[in-house]
Amino acid sequence: MFRFRLYWTFTKKAFLRSAVYRFDVWSRLGSNLIFLLMWGSIWTALYAGREEAGGVSFESMLTYIVVSQFLTGVNGAGTPLWEIQEKVRTGDISLELMRPFDVPLRYLFADFGSVAFYILTALLPLYTVMFIFMDLTLPSGWENWVLFIISAFIGFLIRYCIEMSFGLLSFFLVETGGIVDVFYFAMSLLSGSVIPLWFFPGWLETMALYLPFQGIYYIPNAIFIGKISGSEILLSLGVQLFWAAASYLLLRFVWNRASQKVVVQGG
Amino acid sequence: MSVVKYFDLYFKLISAGVRAQLQYRFAFVMRIVGLITSYTGTALTMWIMLYQFQELGSWTFYEMLFLFAVAVLSWGFCIILFFHFRGLDTYILNGTFDRFLVRPINPFFHFMAMKFDVASFGQFIFSIGIFILVSFRLQLDWTVGKSLFLLLSVVGGILIQGGLLVMISALAFWTTKSEQFYWVAMFPARNLTNYPLVIYPKAVQWFTAFVIPFGFVNYFPAAVLLEKETPFFPENIGYYSPLVGIVFFSIAYSIWMLGLKRYKSTGS
Repeated sequence: MFRFRLYWTFTKKAFLRSAVYRFDVWSRLGSNLIFLLMWGSIWTALYAGREEAGGVSFESMLTYIVVSQFLTGVNGAGTPLWEIQEKVRTGDISLELMRPFDVPLRYLFADFGSVAFYILTALLPLYTVMFIFMDLTLPSGWENWVLFIISAFIGFLIRYCIEMSFGLLSFFLVETGGIVDVFYFAMSLLSGSVIPLWFFPGWLETMALYLPFQGIYYIPNAIFIGKISGSEILLSLGVQLFWAAASYLLLRFVWNRASQKVVVQGG
Repeated sequence: MSVVKYFDLYFKLISAGVRAQLQYRFAFVMRIVGLITSYTGTALTMWIMLYQFQELGSWTFYEMLFLFAVAVLSWGFCIILFFHFRGLDTYILNGTFDRFLVRPINPFFHFMAMKFDVASFGQFIFSIGIFILVSFRLQLDWTVGKSLFLLLSVVGGILIQGGLLVMISALAFWTTKSEQFYWVAMFPARNLTNYPLVIYPKAVQWFTAFVIPFGFVNYFPAAVLLEKETPFFPENIGYYSPLVGIVFFSIAYSIWMLGLKRYKSTGS
């Protein structure tokens, strides 16, 4: 039985708590903007006055990066991985295990709250202004907006499940430093967050298409700029749903193993 | 105390720290592997970026790698000497900063010598590997003069990046916050300079040359060594890199000392 109202409380609490740490919101937005400046400049320089490359116009490419940076902001606004790992290291996580809720779901719903706050107060106003004043392309119709939002949401779930699974590795390993670095690199590259998959060398593109990361940034971004259209969209959403389910199972598996380990080690 | 004695003391203090870190050998190796992997990741990203486009603001892949490696090398030294400065706020809030004030040595020096992060070997291995690779690929001709210049500009780079870390930490004396400023300002700024500055809007280029002089860490010196042009800036401006480092660091040091004078313990 899924007790929605219980988890919804975590969402509300996280939303209110974010409102207290206003400095965090501003600082996060500041660094998000610097990275946007960086990737925007890089793509401007790569196109170097060309109208189009790889079948994509400069305007669309710039839109891709802006949307991608927006989603990076969304995906980065939840509970940071190190905070959960710190709880595992200090043993504080055991307190949460004793309570009558499911820990992975509790963090997911809390993330909904803090992400919603961040979107409403920082990301949305800023990026709206950006879309008004810059030459960017918007989705052609309202259906595409809806599909983009759905796709971005599924991407968020995929990212959450995979990232959380990695975070829980600290139950099994004392030092996760190296693995986490590899993971974040794979996520930023293979998800197409900074370079769209169509610019990859063939072999790497094939590899990326067989991995779950493309569902986090590439698919929603590509839907937004219309690179994926028509029935292809439905296919891509299907791929995303598949990976969302798979990564959820991964999270459940890792979580079960991890929580058993705590029990074995004893209080 | 004389400078020689300070040197002696520095090595005594850090050798204790190094021995402590080497106790956790697995963690030590993992961190180095992790660092090398993430730097290789950035290099790979650059490669893919240029797979279709060949050039970024007239810089080729190997030239960009060189630019990147110069930044990584000086950052490696910077981590050893100054990286822990960003955490000054925690020391102040916990009241543990006071112990640096009650000993008969310069508190700045004492704080600096408190920590020595051996994981920076990851930076050294990566950047030296890249230097060798790029030297072969671009057939760089390393004369004594050029090598010496690279060395001096790395020193300049350490002083500039270290200077900014010191300034950020000094903010903690006034605002009791510093770590956050690192992640908001310096971390993205460092990423910005992994790419040739020429691609950014003029205002940004100007800012990174004369306000927070990150351009002198890698872009200007690398342009001199690779004989590349730096539009909007005088030719061979990179030669000033060590000088800029000394000036910037002196300013940072004075700000830190000023903050220290103002500092009142949180008391308890």
